[in-house]
Amino acid sequence: MAGISSSIYNLLFRKNTVMLGTVFAAAFAVEMAWDTASASIWDNINKGRQWKDIKQKYLEAAEE
Amino acid sequence: MPALTTSTRTLARTWTAHQLPAARAACSALQTRSLSEASASSSFDSPFKASSSERTTKIPSFAKYRNNASGESGPKVFQYFMVGTMGALSALGAKATVNDFLVNMSASADVLAQAKVEIDLAAIPEGKNVIIKWRGKPVFIRHRTEAEIKEAEDTKWESLRDPQPDSDRVKRPDWLIMLGVCTHLGCVPIGEAGDYGGWFCPCHGSHYDISGRIRKGPAPLNLEVPVYDFPEEGKVVIG
Amino acid sequence: MLARSCLRSARSVRPVARSATSKTASRSTSTSGPSAEEAASSWKTTVLGSGATAFAIGSVAWYYHLYGRNVDAMTPAEEGLHPTQYPWEHTKWSKTFDHQALRRGFQVYREVCASCHSLQRIPYRSLVGTIMTVDEAKALAEENEYDSEPNDEGEIEKRPGKLSDYLPSPYKNDEAARAANNGALPPDLSLMVKARHGGCNYVFSLLTGYPEEPPAGAVVPEGLNFNPYFPGTGIAMARVLYDDLVEYDDGTPATTSQMAKDVTEFLNWSAEPEMDQRKKMGWKVLAIGGILFALSVWVKRYKWAPLKTRKLVYHSVGAAKNPATPRPSVKLSEKQ
Repeated sequence: MAGISSSIYNLLFRKNTVMLGTVFAAAFAVEMAWDTASASIWDNINKGRQWKDIKQKYLEAAEE
Repeated sequence: MPALTTSTRTLARTWTAHQLPAARAACSALQTRSLSEASASSSFDSPFKASSSERTTKIPSFAKYRNNASGESGPKVFQYFMVGTMGALSALGAKATVNDFLVNMSASADVLAQAKVEIDLAAIPEGKNVIIKWRGKPVFIRHRTEAEIKEAEDTKWESLRDPQPDSDRVKRPDWLIMLGVCTHLGCVPIGEAGDYGGWFCPCHGSHYDISGRIRKGPAPLNLEVPVYDFPEEGKVVIG
Repeated sequence: MLARSCLRSARSVRPVARSATSKTASRSTSTSGPSAEEAASSWKTTVLGSGATAFAIGSVAWYYHLYGRNVDAMTPAEEGLHPTQYPWEHTKWSKTFDHQALRRGFQVYREVCASCHSLQRIPYRSLVGTIMTVDEAKALAEENEYDSEPNDEGEIEKRPGKLSDYLPSPYKNDEAARAANNGALPPDLSLMVKARHGGCNYVFSLLTGYPEEPPAGAVVPEGLNFNPYFPGTGIAMARVLYDDLVEYDDGTPATTSQMAKDVTEFLNWSAEPEMDQRKKMGWKVLAIGGILFALSVWVKRYKWAPLKTRKLVYHSVGAAKNPATPRPSVKLSEKQ
């Protein structure tokens, strides 16, 4: 446990510049993950209500 | 001047040195007196006064707040993680905010909806000019004949004022599409006129050839070619 | 703060505090004995406190009686009946519009409302991706003609509509609309849900609230219709929605209330087309903001910990020897 945490510390936090880089990289990663997660939660709450859920019906109707 | 300052300073220092012990003594005497009087013969007992047996110098212990983890990097990693997470989330929020403001500056949806114009080319016969409006400016669309294409391509473009081959100015040789704004002072040139069989600007007499290149007159540049695309046969989308 | 320290001291040095209180209270009645003194003072305190309370309540009540009550400029009939609160699904915090209902509502608008009411702020392009496919919206736009740019002769020609055009209005201008409707102007419906007190509830109640015939005693002027929800109860618009007036392409039974509900939801969309996105973004911001708040509380405590756990210890070294000149020595200790 101590070994892992000390290696994390040495890898990411020891130098200020590296820490800053880690923070900004994490910000981008979190943004992507958060956007995806919140979109899926939102779509799940509003299942069948949004245009993308009923769009297929009308696209198919147009093709026929 | 320096002499004066020095003397003043010395005076002040000596005065303080003389006065301070006296002042301090008086002050402490005052304190002691009030203390002794309060304990000895006061008709009013302060409710805030501690009883004499209680020590007022009890030093609190913060031992229970201490981090008892062994080693140093464990708590440090946790602390830096928390601080870093706050930084990352703040950066995310700041980015979203800035982004919103920048989006606000770009063209609005109704402008963007009019930014593209779709034109049916089948209605334009060979050798004819059509002028359409696009973003408030006229756009010349010329369906060029074989002879005109040949003329435009055979011109020695290297020696022109704004040297540009015809192939750089058209996507398909039979369709010449360009902004109908004279590069001199912004008049709208007249089609099928001028000394070179192209366009002629009536304001100051600039002559453009059949590829829209400036040949004679005050204009410095060729007529501008907008961004356009042929999504399907017989249709052009400008913008 | 004072109260808290009072309490604390009272707890620690109770006997002292008690004697102090009794002394302060009894200062006014110094002639009688201690027990009678206490009894009289408590009686007086009670009367004084009760009297002050009664006076305060009474003066507030008197002031409210004079100035505090609502003054209604209008009678309830002039104000209109308050609409019922309906449990709209799309007004919940986490719900989007039901776009199937929007599509039905737009059909109702087009077939019923559009003959009198304009919807000037809605372009065809905003229907794309919310109510219709691109091809449907283009076909719809081309059904109407719009003024083109002036041609070489300066004449304005008609051209078929494009996606960037706005929905056509039934009348050329307000005067034409008034002339066609006995002087009453059918308002533009684009922002109607936002513009009317009661919003969706009002629009729905108005559309479904026409009685068979006006109640006894109601005065309905010539050319107007009775609707209790309309301010003044006399409305120029007659009841328009009847069962099976339109035929929904998704097979929903077109009852009056169904059509009213659909068109109300559609009008809410036209007033707030950004609602879906706004709610989603709102949740995202609240969640991130909540986490950030918790983190910032933690970081504040973390940063303050060295300051908060710092101890200043005062050692009065020479106090016993020479009380007149104590030599203070302040020791800073951060450990234990």
